[in-house]
Amino acid sequence: MGMALQAKDLRKTYAGTVAVESLSLEVEAGKVLGFLGPNGAGKTTVIRILSTILVPDSGAFWVAGVFHTHPQQIRQRLGVLPESAGYPAGLTGEEWLTYHGRLFGRTRSAARATARRLLDDVGLSGRGTSRIGTYSRGMRQRLGIARALVNDPDVVFLDEPTLGLDPSGQIQVLEIVTRLARKHGVTVMMSTHLLAEVEQVCDEVLILNRGHAVAQGTVAEVVHRAAAPRQALVRVPPELHDRALTVLGDGRIESRPAGSGRRGELTVSGPITASPEQLSSRALRPLLESGIPVLAFTLEGGRLSDAFLAVTAGSGG
Amino acid sequence: MAEPGGDAARSAFPASVVVAQRELQDLWLGGRGLPLMLAFTLMSSVTSYLISSNQTLNFLEVRESVSLSVRVAVAVSALLVVLAAADAISGERERGTLESLLLTPAPRRSLVVGKGVAALSLWLAAVILSMPYVWFLGRGVGVVGKAAVGSLVVSGLLALFLTGLGLVISIVLTSNRVSLALSLFMLVALYAPSQLATVGLQPSAGDLVQRLDPFTSGLRYLDALVVGGHSYGQDVGLLLAPGIGAVAFPVAALAMSGHLALFGRDRP
Repeated sequence: MGMALQAKDLRKTYAGTVAVESLSLEVEAGKVLGFLGPNGAGKTTVIRILSTILVPDSGAFWVAGVFHTHPQQIRQRLGVLPESAGYPAGLTGEEWLTYHGRLFGRTRSAARATARRLLDDVGLSGRGTSRIGTYSRGMRQRLGIARALVNDPDVVFLDEPTLGLDPSGQIQVLEIVTRLARKHGVTVMMSTHLLAEVEQVCDEVLILNRGHAVAQGTVAEVVHRAAAPRQALVRVPPELHDRALTVLGDGRIESRPAGSGRRGELTVSGPITASPEQLSSRALRPLLESGIPVLAFTLEGGRLSDAFLAVTAGSGG
Repeated sequence: MAEPGGDAARSAFPASVVVAQRELQDLWLGGRGLPLMLAFTLMSSVTSYLISSNQTLNFLEVRESVSLSVRVAVAVSALLVVLAAADAISGERERGTLESLLLTPAPRRSLVVGKGVAALSLWLAAVILSMPYVWFLGRGVGVVGKAAVGSLVVSGLLALFLTGLGLVISIVLTSNRVSLALSLFMLVALYAPSQLATVGLQPSAGDLVQRLDPFTSGLRYLDALVVGGHSYGQDVGLLLAPGIGAVAFPVAALAMSGHLALFGRDRP
């Protein structure tokens, strides 16, 4: 499968302040890349560079096989939901999408038909003729996604598509992203802070910190490389608290009272190389064999969020 | 959803026409243009009534009345045009809608041209609406034709000049308020000498300056045509400054449109 997105050594500064430094990335066609990083890490700058809105100080990139010196051709194949996009309050959703469709070279009737189809796809078909000024934030966000798809793009950049949405709105947006990639083969680069959802939806992740790519790969690879601590919270009956600590100690697994300080809650930690299954087995088996009932067992380590915190530690974001 | 990159019927219209259509619809059907023209019509009616009263009292001659009415139309159309042009790009920036437009393959120049056309439509509407008043005040003395043609030419050149000026300012500045304020200040600064000339300053003292000021020289041409009864070609040199402005500033706006950016030059 070919590369839909490639960048090499991108650098961008604002008045001497480095926003992006030595950034290189590759995304295969049809994949979803989760683009993560603390606030101010440079995510929006990277998206604006790749979408030809900003010009990098140095470096090169290709979008859908088009080199960055041909910005109009790139924009023809690209769909973008910008961060904090504004919408003309006086236009209806259908009028706005039709207008943008025409700016992509479609006839008025073709643009209108596309607008109606996209409104239907993002669940706004009933509100297409209402003024955008009457839309809720979630509706505007979905309209923005429809706008990003108005040219049937090969590559889509979504900058914080779930920002400010309620849980159902977030799920709807993530469903759209999944559908785009899996059903239509569109390459998606999605900037978000919803790490749990990234684990579900994204094929790969790239974590940016202070303008530098600090981790890139599949979720499993990033988590493994980041050497995130693996630990679990175990709940046992309060009266068996001390006995559970002794049993776990005999089983040579590191254990201590949980940070909550409540009796009956213990934190157990495994080695860095331990898989979640190994950790579960090593913690649960001695307890159960000793007749100590386990009321709850929650894995706390080995998640993308741990990796994220590990590689962005010390960031002010 | 359609397959990515699927064929779609291609538009026969260039992007500048699409932008102009959208902007004209927003301006005239969205509400801003019509109330402005209604206000202009009311103001012209009141002004014409006052001028007509002065005519009756012999304070003003017919030709002077027509000249005054035309001056008002020129000034108002200039004000509307420069404000519309100044809002064109920086307004989109401030409302957060510029980025979506810049993300389309439409050439930057098309966006600027389309918005410029919409701004110029305000001039055309104001000039057309001023004609009945010119006819009413100047009927019977054979000055209406000259006043109409003269005002169309002078206000047209000034409108092109101010559209270009407003667009240049709007392209450069990020803040819409600053863009509007600076454009308004420029308009007042250019218009003020034309008023000073009429209140008895020595014409020779600032003749060169007045010839260089597009407003003053344009209005002097109109006065010569309407009040002085000169021919169209007699003082055509006075149209040099507005003519140069009408070419130079739109060309500058088009040249700068290639560098139209999400942020103005006043921000990174």
